Amino acid sequence: MKPFRLNRTQTFIFLSLLPAVLLVFGFTYFPILKGIDVAFRNYSLFNLTDVHYVGLDNFRAVMGTPQFGTILKNTALWVIISLVFQFAIGFLLALLMRKGFRGRGIYQGFVFYSWALSGFLIGIIFRWLFNGQIGVINDLLLNAGIITERIGFLSDPKWAMFSVIVANIWYGVAFFAIMLLAALQSVPSELYEAADIDGASGFSQLFNVTIPYIMPTILSTVALRVIWIFNFPDLIYGMTNGGPAGSTHILTTYMLDKIIFSGDYGQASAIGIICIIILLLFLVFYMFATKAEKAGDF
Amino acid sequence: MKKQWKIAGKAGKAVVLALYFIFMVFPLYWMVITSLKPRNEIFALPLQYWPKHISFENYVQIFKISKFQIYLGNSLFISLVAAAIVLVVTILSGYVLARFSFRGASQLMLAFFITQMIPLFIGFSTLYMMMSRMGLLNKQASLILMYTVGLVPFCTIMLRGFFQRIPSSLEEAAMIDGCSRLSALWRVIIPVMMPGISATFIFAFVQNWNELFMAIMFIDNETSKTLPVAMNSFITKFDIDWGSMSAATVLSVIPTVILFAICQRFIVEGLTQGAVKG
Amino acid sequence: MRKATKWMALPMVTVLAVGSLSACSSSGTQKAADGGKAAPAKVNLKMIESLTSPARTEVIKKMIASFEAANPNIKVELISPPLEGADNKISTMLNAREDLDVLEVRDVTVKQFVTNKWIADLSSYTNAWSGYKDLNANAIAMANYINNTPYFIPYGLYEKMLFYRKDWFDAKGLTPPKTWDELYKDAKALTDPANNRFGYSFRGGSGADGYIVDLLRDFNGSNVNPDDAMFLKSGATIFSTPEAKQGLTMYANLYKDGSPKDSVNWAFAEQVQGFVSGTTAMLIQDPDTIDPVSQKLGQGTWATAPMPVGPTGISHYKVGAAGWGVTSYSKHPNEAWKLIEFLSSPEQNAIFTKTAGVIPIHNSASVDKSFTQGAYKPYIDMANDPAHFVSYKPETDYKGFGEWRKIVQQDMQAVLLNHLSIDDALKKWDAYWINEKKQGK
Repeated sequence: MKPFRLNRTQTFIFLSLLPAVLLVFGFTYFPILKGIDVAFRNYSLFNLTDVHYVGLDNFRAVMGTPQFGTILKNTALWVIISLVFQFAIGFLLALLMRKGFRGRGIYQGFVFYSWALSGFLIGIIFRWLFNGQIGVINDLLLNAGIITERIGFLSDPKWAMFSVIVANIWYGVAFFAIMLLAALQSVPSELYEAADIDGASGFSQLFNVTIPYIMPTILSTVALRVIWIFNFPDLIYGMTNGGPAGSTHILTTYMLDKIIFSGDYGQASAIGIICIIILLLFLVFYMFATKAEKAGDF
Repeated sequence: MKKQWKIAGKAGKAVVLALYFIFMVFPLYWMVITSLKPRNEIFALPLQYWPKHISFENYVQIFKISKFQIYLGNSLFISLVAAAIVLVVTILSGYVLARFSFRGASQLMLAFFITQMIPLFIGFSTLYMMMSRMGLLNKQASLILMYTVGLVPFCTIMLRGFFQRIPSSLEEAAMIDGCSRLSALWRVIIPVMMPGISATFIFAFVQNWNELFMAIMFIDNETSKTLPVAMNSFITKFDIDWGSMSAATVLSVIPTVILFAICQRFIVEGLTQGAVKG
Repeated sequence: MRKATKWMALPMVTVLAVGSLSACSSSGTQKAADGGKAAPAKVNLKMIESLTSPARTEVIKKMIASFEAANPNIKVELISPPLEGADNKISTMLNAREDLDVLEVRDVTVKQFVTNKWIADLSSYTNAWSGYKDLNANAIAMANYINNTPYFIPYGLYEKMLFYRKDWFDAKGLTPPKTWDELYKDAKALTDPANNRFGYSFRGGSGADGYIVDLLRDFNGSNVNPDDAMFLKSGATIFSTPEAKQGLTMYANLYKDGSPKDSVNWAFAEQVQGFVSGTTAMLIQDPDTIDPVSQKLGQGTWATAPMPVGPTGISHYKVGAAGWGVTSYSKHPNEAWKLIEFLSSPEQNAIFTKTAGVIPIHNSASVDKSFTQGAYKPYIDMANDPAHFVSYKPETDYKGFGEWRKIVQQDMQAVLLNHLSIDDALKKWDAYWINEKKQGK
C-alpha cells in the first residue's frame, strides 16, 4: 500500500474512534478519579467540613465488619446461580427460537419484556408477589395444595436469597436470549449443510458447528453479565433491602446502605473499589482461562 | 422412526416454550388484572385472579391526574435519540476495532470493558458538577448525553463482535468498485449486520427506557420527567399505589413489546442475507 | 437496494418520533432554563420537597399558587423528586450549591444540613415575625432543635399512638391496652394464624429502630435522661439494665406469639397494610396513618388510644418534625423567607396539616374540633398527662445515628430469627452508644 492510502486509513480510524473515546474518557474515567480519592478520605455527608485523608481506614472498616464474610458469600451465590440459569435458559430459548415459528415476534415481545423494566420496579413487583401474607405466589401454592402454610419468602433467611435470585433469573434471561439469538442468526447455513452431508446429529452439530462459531459472543456476553449481575443492587434493594438480618446483602447493596443510611461516601467508595478489584481479578482469570478458546474478544 | 423423533422434538420444544411463557408472563398478567381492578378491590382477600368488575379508573387516573402522556413522550424521545446516537458512534468504533489492528487497540477494548465494572455512584458528585457547569442540569440533553456515554462501551464491544464475523472481502469488493470505505460500510456491511444492529438497538433503547437514578438526579422539571421517575412517585410513605403502578407498568411494557415485534422482521431478513458467501 | 430501504425505516421512525415529540418536551425545559436569570423585578424561587406524595404535592402547589397571587413579583418552581432518593437528590444539589432557595428539612436531616453549612440561620427573620410566638411549644422546640437556633420552621409534628381494631377487641371483651404487658397479652389473645389474624403489626424492617429504642426507654422508666435519651440519668446506656432485657424479651415474644411471621421484614407500608387489610389488630403509628386507615376501614371498626406505658407507668415519646428552611447560599433569602412565613400562617398550615396528616404547629389549632376529638384525641390526652408521658430530645444529632438505625434493625431481626441472643444484642448496642458518647455529636 502507498503511504498516502495508509494515511487516509489512519485518519478514518482516528475519526471513527474519536467520539466514543471522548465520551467514555470524559464522562466515565474523569469523574472516577475523584471518586477514588474519596475512598481514602473521611467523607461523610454528616460532616463535609472536614474531609481529611484517612489512609486505608475506610477499607479496614468495611472489611472488618462481621457481616463481610456473609456479604462475599451472598455476592458469589448471587452472581454464579443467576448467571448459570440465565445463560442456560437463554441459550436454550435462543436455540428453540432460531428456526422461527408462527407468532415468534409476539412470543419474543412477551418473554423479553422483563428487560424493559427497571431493576427497582421488578424488585417491588416481586416483593408483592412473594409477600408472605398477601402475596399471590403463596396463594397459588396454597390453592394447588403444594404447601399448607404460607412461606415467608422474603422474611425467612432460608428463602430470601432464593427469592431474589429467582427474580433476577426472571429478569436476565432475556439478555442472553437476545444476544445469542442474534449470534445464531449469523451462523452461515453452509456450515450446517456441510455438517448435514457429514451426517452429524443435532447434538454434534451444536457442539461442533454452532457453539464454536458463536463462541466469541458467548465469551463476551458471559463476562459482561458476570460484571453486570455483580453490579446490580437495584433488584435486591427493591425486594428485601438486604434483609432479613442482612441475609440478602451483596457487596453493592451494602454499598447503597452505606450511602443511604450512613451517608458515608468514603466507605461506600471503598466498597466500590473493592468491587472493581474483584472484577478485575475475575477478568484477568477469565481471559487467561479462555485464551485456549482463541476468544481474545476484549 | 426418524419422523416420530421429529414430532416428539417439536412437541418438546412447544412444551418448553409454553412453560417459559407462563413463567415470564405471570407477573405481567398480575399487573394487567390489577390495573383493571377497581381501587378498593386490589387488596381484597381472597385474591381475585380475574377482576370482579372491570374498571379503567386506574388508567384514567394516570392520564388525567398524573399526566402520563407527557412522561411517555419524554421517555420515548430520550430513549430513541440516545439509542440512535449510540448506534452511529458505536457502528464506527466497533467497525474500526474489528477491522484494523493498530497500537492501543486492545488496551482501548480493555478500557471500555472496565467501565462496566464501575459502580455508577463513584464519581457521581463530580459528574453532577460537570453537568451543572455545562448548563445541562434539568435538561433532557443531560440524560441523552449520559445514556449515550453509558452505552458506548457495551455497544462497541457487541458490534465489534458482529463485524468480526463478516468477511472483510465483502467491503473490499465494494471498494474496488469505487465505493469509499464509509459508503461500503453503509451499503454493504450494515445490511448484512441487521440482526446484530437490531439487537444492539433494542438493548440500547431498553437500557435508556428504564434508567432511574440519573433521571431523578438530573431532571427537576415536572414536564421533563421520564417514565421511571413518574412511576417511582407512586411509592409513597404509606404504601405503593398499585392501581396506578400496575397501569403504568403495563403501559411502559407496550413500546418494548412493539419494538421486539418490529425488530423481529429485521432479524429474519438479516438471516437470509447473513448467509451470503462465507 | 430493497433491503437497504427497509433498514432505513428504523432511523426514519426515530426521526419522526423525535420530530413529533420534541415540540412538547423542549418547551418545558426552556422555561426551567431561564430560572434564576430573569429580570431583577421578578424573583424566581426554587423549592424542593422530600417526603413527596402525589396528594401532598397537589396541596403544596395550591398553596404556592395563592402565595404567587399575593406576591406577583415572585415565582416559585417546586421540585418534587420521588420519595425514594429525594434526600439523596437534595444533598447532592446542596453539595454542588445548585440553585435552590427553599427546601424541606427533616429532624433526621437538619443536623447534617447545619454542619455542612447548607442551610441558613433564620433567627433574624423569626425575631421580626409576629407569628413566631403563636407556634406551639413542640414546634418551637423542634425549630430550635440544633444549637438552639431556628434553622427551619416545622410544617407539622409527628408523634406515635396506638391504632386498634375496636370490633375485634369488643368481640373478645377486651379493652385497649394501657401497658406494654397488656398489649402483649391482648396481641396473643387476638392471634389466630388459622384465620390469618394476628394481634400486632410488628415493624421488623426498615425503620424498626425507633420502636425498639422507645420501648426500652419505657422499661427503664424514670431513670432515662430525657435530654440525652440513649442514656440514663446515671450516665449508663439504656441498654445496660436488667429492665432493658426484660423489655426486649417482651418485644421478641410479641413478635413470636402475637405478630405475623412475615413482619420480621415489614417496613412502614407493610405494617399499615397489615392493619388496614384486616390481618392485624394493633398498630403503632404516626398521625399521617389516620387518613389511609379511615379510608380503608369502616367507621366504628377502629379507634385510637394513647401509647402503652412501661412497667413503672411511664411512656417516652418523641416529637418528630419536618418543615421548611432556606439554603445558606440563596440569592433571594428575603423572598424565600416570605414564602416560608406564608406557608406557616395558621390558615395555610391548617390546609397542609389536614392533607399531610400531621399535628398542627399553632396553639390556635388545638381548638379546632378535628384535632380535639376523634382519632387525634390521644395526643391531647398524652400532652395533658406529663407525669406518665415524658417527651425526650431525639438522638438524631449523633454522628453515628444513621449507621445505628441500620445496625439495630439488623440485630433485632437476627434476634427474632434466633441468630443472636438478646444479651449479645444489648451488649453490642451498649458498646455502640458508649463509643458514640465518646465521639460526640
